[in-house]
This record gives sequence, structure tokens and C-alpha cells, in this order.
Amino acid sequence: MTVTFPQKGLPWLLLLPQLLVTAVFFLWPAEQALEQAFYQEDAFGLSREFVGLDNFLDLFTDPLYYQSMLTTLVFSFSVAIFGMSIALLLAVMADRVIRGKLTYQTLLIWPYAVAPALAGVLWWILFDPSMGPIALWLESMGLDWDHYLNGGQAMILVVIAATWKQISYNFLFFLAGLQAVPRSLIEAAAIDGAGPFKRFWTIVFPLLSPTTFFLLVINLVYAFFDTFGVIDATTKGGPGQSTNILVYKVFEDGFVGLDLGSSAAQSVVLMAIVGVMTVIQFRFIERKVQYS
Amino acid sequence: MTDVILENVGKTYPNGYHAIPSVDLSIEEGEFIVLVGPSGCGKSTLLRMVAGLESITQGELRIRDERMNDKEPAERDIAMVFQNYALYPHMTVYNNMAYGLKNRGVGKTDIEEKVSNVADMLGLTELLQRKPGQLSGGQRQRVAMGRAMVRDPKVFLFDEPLSNLDAKLRVQMRIEIRQLQRKLGTTTLYVTHDQVEAMTLADRLVVLNKGKAEQIGTPMDLYDKPATPFVASFIGSPSMNLLPANLVEQGIKLSETLILPLSHAHRGGVVWGIRPEHLEVSDEQNADFALRVQAVESLGAETLIHGALEDQSGRITSLVIRLSGPHLPEIDSLIWLIAPTKHWHVFDAITQQRL
Amino acid sequence: MIENRPWLTFVGHATLWLGVALVALPVWMALVASTHPASAFGVGHIPLWFGDAGVETWKSVLLEEAGNGIESSVTFMMLNSLVMALGITFGKIAISLLSAYAIVFFRFPFRNFCFWIIFMTLMLPVEVRIVPTYEVVANLGLLNSFTGLTLPLIASATATFLFRQCFLSIPSELVEAARIDGAGPFRFFFDILLPLTRTNIAALFVILFIYGWNQYLWPLIITTDNAYYTLVMSIKRMLSVTDGDIEWNRIMATTLLAMLPPVAVVIGMQKLFVKGLVDAEK
Repeated sequence: MTVTFPQKGLPWLLLLPQLLVTAVFFLWPAEQALEQAFYQEDAFGLSREFVGLDNFLDLFTDPLYYQSMLTTLVFSFSVAIFGMSIALLLAVMADRVIRGKLTYQTLLIWPYAVAPALAGVLWWILFDPSMGPIALWLESMGLDWDHYLNGGQAMILVVIAATWKQISYNFLFFLAGLQAVPRSLIEAAAIDGAGPFKRFWTIVFPLLSPTTFFLLVINLVYAFFDTFGVIDATTKGGPGQSTNILVYKVFEDGFVGLDLGSSAAQSVVLMAIVGVMTVIQFRFIERKVQYS
Repeated sequence: MTDVILENVGKTYPNGYHAIPSVDLSIEEGEFIVLVGPSGCGKSTLLRMVAGLESITQGELRIRDERMNDKEPAERDIAMVFQNYALYPHMTVYNNMAYGLKNRGVGKTDIEEKVSNVADMLGLTELLQRKPGQLSGGQRQRVAMGRAMVRDPKVFLFDEPLSNLDAKLRVQMRIEIRQLQRKLGTTTLYVTHDQVEAMTLADRLVVLNKGKAEQIGTPMDLYDKPATPFVASFIGSPSMNLLPANLVEQGIKLSETLILPLSHAHRGGVVWGIRPEHLEVSDEQNADFALRVQAVESLGAETLIHGALEDQSGRITSLVIRLSGPHLPEIDSLIWLIAPTKHWHVFDAITQQRL
Repeated sequence: MIENRPWLTFVGHATLWLGVALVALPVWMALVASTHPASAFGVGHIPLWFGDAGVETWKSVLLEEAGNGIESSVTFMMLNSLVMALGITFGKIAISLLSAYAIVFFRFPFRNFCFWIIFMTLMLPVEVRIVPTYEVVANLGLLNSFTGLTLPLIASATATFLFRQCFLSIPSELVEAARIDGAGPFRFFFDILLPLTRTNIAALFVILFIYGWNQYLWPLIITTDNAYYTLVMSIKRMLSVTDGDIEWNRIMATTLLAMLPPVAVVIGMQKLFVKGLVDAEK
């Protein structure tokens, strides 16, 4: 952009609202978390003392925190992998069919608009051990379903609810990616004698790899940070610690456990994780720009 | 009356790049000036400096005796037609033309009158309620011109306005622009890289090379007496034949065996030039030299013959001849040529100046 | 497709229908459940076909208090949700448009620094800094207010980036033409920039509306006053029954109502939604 307006004060005026909101509701809290992370406060907020890195040391020697990390990883990768696989399958099929493409798209994308907490509630009733049709069906197949007591099953429930909501997003991006594969490449492969399956795995899928990588990052970010509602509305991190993912633990330790120092230290760790993920995402986008 | 004056105008970018060293130019009222040169020569930059879209880092720009260096584009009373037309895509043709007037606080009835006058003149009346997306390339070009004309500015600025049109339309619009400018009598500064456009439109041409005005003059001045080999090769199509030579006592020494007689006091390296249309076919006795035919392009009304001037050292120099009517010499045959002295152009090889 | 293989086409349609059915399954269940009286959800089974208590349930959900300590009706909470969603959406769009405008069309000291400050908000989702943000909002006396519900959420790096991209893609000649036509910063913004980015704004509106409507944790922690309860967060309070059974029929009706507006927006404005989603990730 070579042509700009000469005014000097106006741009600050234009930026003011955004900067103000950012400073008050983002930077200040972030700074508070950073500060709080080095203090120990009593539950009533009456006194606090500087404890240095103790909060972090406590955190990193706490087996519960490691367990929560592990839970988060299992949860996030499950959501990402299931969500992406199902979406890819549906997108490939939708790309193949000639009639009704848009109708299928409409019928598949709406769950994006459902709040995570509501997604959790919807699947909860299906899996409710005493009356949910799926739970009862599983029972009739000889599998005792009770996510109130069984940690593994609770994890499966939240993974299903979180995945369900994310399929639509993945589907749209895979479909766009598939439609961007040059027709002539597929035709050339067909002339070279490759059948539809071979074509997919040798031509289409490799060409989709930028989309796949992008979606992997987005899905992990989603599972890490946007699934709070799913957990809170269904399992509340339980039973035991089995679905207590990091972002839920920050909230729980801070608001329920009132361990502000630890919660702040956890906030700082999470900010670092988001930072790293954001940088990866941006690196990727830069690369994509270069290639295209 | 002198309308626009550029005095020692130059441009240095913040990164130190010296885009335009210095240009002096004074434009008479109603004159049509064309800035021409290869891409990257600084012609668009110069135009944009006049428009106020680029800052002037040195010298002075005056329009009707008023210093314009620090004025906003809108305060300079100029209008510009862009290469991509730059029509506002969300506004109708009418609003595109009226926008500048509205911003200047012109009354509604005044605007209506001015727009409809200009629309009449350009044959746009039927299209006033359309949006730019619904117009053809030629129509958009007209709207862009209408937007400039409606304000009746002191100066029109054109930045390669025809380069997005197909060849046929380009010729038609070229003639139309010239007629309109004559009729309106508005001082015009026009940028192009196309020398045909430049020759046909201009009252005077400014040939720019690397940010410097190589020569300023009427089209025929530049054709007959190019000041430098650059101007010589840029004006005229096909380009002038330019050959490195030496000026010696006997004349122009093109090679060990070929000396064309000329008495001139200058000695040393020169560039000798002759336009393809000025070479004449002759017989062996009277000829100045012979050319071995390499390729023939028959264009019907004229024929272009590409050939090589050979000397004993084996050095080959390419030449082009332009003959009217059809000719079909055989490839590898020899053609005998006369180069009439009055059509010679001789430049100093070092200073590049015409001798 | 390149070759005609009827069975593959059939498999394609079958898979898609299966996908559609699976995706719709929970909503179907919710719809069915909302048509039965609360007593139907006893131990043993859940009804699989529509009952006859639908009108009753929906009427009570829409008009009566939601119960369980919530004194507002679902209709009232829907209005709250709407106010919050629109506040967040318009707020984000407005401040992002302005800051992107400043960054693209003006030159001033610390321009890049400002850009980075805004960029950093990407790294600080509200869930991550929940406790200190709560404290800040409490200190400012914004608990239980619409300002508190919306203002802390309206800074948006994503929207600012999107508008910046959008502005940068406007041909510079158009900007120059406007300058020559005498348009100053305000005229240019309203006459040229806004009309040219209309579609992008609309697309972003769809995405942000969904984001705003679906806020859960934030309203949950900063509202203790019924007057400010929003619909999505109220589900949690309705579910946390200490004595007696959960009223599944009413909860399911409420859930459906809570998801209806954003889902309707996605389906009704599908094109804009897809565009917004793709734009926002660029």
C-alpha cells in the first residue's frame, strides 16, 4: 500500500478501542496470572506471600497434573483423529457424488453451530446408563456402560460429543481441499491405469496433506481449549480425574479449589502452549502462502 | 501560457533508491505531452508525482504558477485515468462520475447536468445506471475518462490507459482520446510504453530512460533527429539499425573492409544508425555494401528483410531493411544496398550524443 | 467422475446418508424426549417415538420459569443470549474494522507494535486466563451486567487480521482514485471501504454470532443474577439437580431452543458461513 492518509492522531483514535479492551481484559489479566503464579494466597484472599517458583515446582511434581496432561493428550488426539477420519471419508464421498452435494453439505455442517456444552448434554442422554438407548443397547450386547463410574467410558463419551461437533468443520475444509485438486491430475492418473482407491491414496491424499496438517493443529487447539463446555456439562472432569483436561483443571483449581497460585501457574503454562500452537499455525500459513 | 512546470524534479525513495535524478519540463496550456519509455524508466512515478500520489523529494512542481509539492491530490485540480480504470465497483456509472463532484460539495442539479453532458459526449447515457462489472472493457475505459472529464480539471493525467484493451479497440480509443482532448483543450500528461501510441497522440514527447529525460520534442523531431541511440532505437518500428563503428579520416569505418565516406572532424568510436525504411536496394556497382538474407517477413504492403553484413574477419552484424510492396529474395542470397548519407545518424559512442 | 461405477456411487450416497443420520441422531432423540412427560424417563428405557406431551412441555419451557433456582423463562434467557451475541458480534466487528483501517491506511510510530499487541490476544483465550480475568471484571464492578458479558470478549485478533487482509487486497489504484476524487479518511471509510468489504463483514458476522451465542464459561462465572442468565449456560444450572430427577423433557426442549438460532443462521446463510469459516482461518 503506497497511498496512506497523512493524519497523525486519527490512527491512534481508531486503534484506541481495540487497544483498550486488549490491555484491560487480556494483558492485565495475563500479567496478573504471571504475578499470581509466584505468590501463595490463602483461600479468603486476605494475605499472600511471594513463593518464587514454588507454584511451578508443585505443579511439575504433582502426579495429578501429569495425569491431567496425559488425559488432555489422549482426549485431544482422539478428537482430532476420529473427527478428521470421519470427515475425510464423508468429504471424499461428497466430492464423488454429483447430485445433492449441497444438500449433504447442509445436513452435515450444522453441528458446528451447537455450543459444546449442549453437544455434551445431547450425547449424555443417549449414553445415560439407566435410560439412554445406546447405553441400553450396549448392555444388551453384553457391555456394561456406566460413564458415571467407568473413567474410560466417560472419556469415550466426551470424545464422541466433542468429535461430533467438529466433524462439520473438518468436512468443509476437506471438501474444499478435494475440490482444489486439479482435475487433470486425476485424469492423468486414470489414464495411467490407477483405479479410484489407488488414485486416492497416491494422488489425492498426498495433495491434501497441507489441509490435513492445518486441520490437525486446529483440531488440537479446539480440543485443548474450546471443549470446556463438553466436560463441564457432562462429566465435570470425573469420575476421579479421568476426564480432567488441563483447561478444566485451571477453572476447577481456581474457582472450586480456590488454589489461586496453582491455577495461575497453570494459566501461565497454558498460555505458553497456546503461544507455541499459534506460532506453528502461523509458520504453516506462511509456508502455504509460499507454495501457492 | 505555461500551465505546468516541473523544475529539477526528482525522486529518491527512503531506501536510497534514486528513481528520478532530475527532470525539467514546461507544458503549455492545452498541450498533449506523452511520457514514453521502457518499463521501469520512471514515467509512471513522474506522473504520480504530478498527481500527488508520490511525494516529490527534490525540485518544484507548479501548476498555473502555484507550487504543488505539498498539496493533497484532491487540491491540485487534476484528474487521472488509471491503467485498470479503478472504477468503484459498488457504484453505478453515474455515481462513479459524480463522486468527485459530490466530495467537492457541488450542488445536485449541477452534478446531474455535468454528468449528463459528459455521458452524452462519450455515449454513456444508456449505461448510467449500470455498475462497472456489467460493462465491457471499452465502456469501462470510457467511464474512467468520463470521471476525469466531468470535473473539468486543469490537467488530465493518463497512466497507460489503453494497455488493457485489445489491439483494435486500442486504435479506436486512441483516436477518440486525441479528438476529445483537442475539443476540451485540457492540458494532458499521458504515460505509455507504446511508441506508436506516443507518436500518434503527442504534441510533444518526453522520452525517459532510467529516470532521465533523454529528449523532449515533437514526434517528428524525435524521428528525424534523435538525440541519443536510445531515442533512436525507441522511436520507430522496426527499430533503427545501430552499428558500432569508428570515425576515421576516410569516413565511417564499419569493418576492416567497409568504410562509408564522410568528412567529420570527430575521431574515435561512434554508433552509426540508419532506419530500415531508408536503406535502398541497388546493383553491385553503386552499392555501399551487400547484405546476406537470413529471413523475410512479408506483410503485404511492406516487406521486412533481416540480413547479415559480413566482413572478412567473420564478424556478423545484423541489419533490417523495410521495403514497400512484396519482395521475395531467396534466403542466403545477397542484396546490394545504398545507405543515403542524409539519413545517417551518428552518435558518439562514449557520450551517446548526436554528432 | 472419470469412470462410471454405479456401485461406488451407491456406496457414496449410502455413506453420506449414514453420516447425516449419525449427525442428526442426538437431535432426533432430543426432539422425541421433549414430547414426553417427565415421568416417562424412569429407569429402564427412554421412549424412541414421539409422545403426546409435546405441546405441554414446550409451552411450559417457553413461558414458565426454568426452575432449579432459575427464575427466568427460556424466552427471557433467549433475549439475554441475543443481546450478548449481538453485542459481542457488533463490538468485535466495529473495533476490528477501525483498528485494521488504522493499521493499513495510516503510517504512524509503533504501528507494528500495535499489530503485535493485537496479535497476542490470539494466544490468550478466555478459558486460559479465566481466574485473573474474572478478578479484573469484578474489580471494575462489571459482574452481572451486559457490559461485563460482552466487553471482555470483543477484542479480536482474528477479525482484525481478516479485515487487514481484506483491505490490503483492495487495488491501490482504487484508493488513489478516491484520493484524487477528494475523499478524506471518513468519506473513504464509509463510501468505499465499507461497501467493498460488505460480504466479508457479513460472513464474519455469521461466525461471530455463533461464537457469541455459544459463550458458556464466561456468563456462567460472571452472572449470579437471574436477569443476566443466558440460555446456553443455564443448561448447566438446570442439570445440577440435588434432589429428585432431572426433568429430561424440559431440558431437551431447552437444549433444542438454545441451539436453534445459531443452527438456523448456519443453514440459512450457508454460503456466508462457509466463506466466513474459510476467511477466518486464512
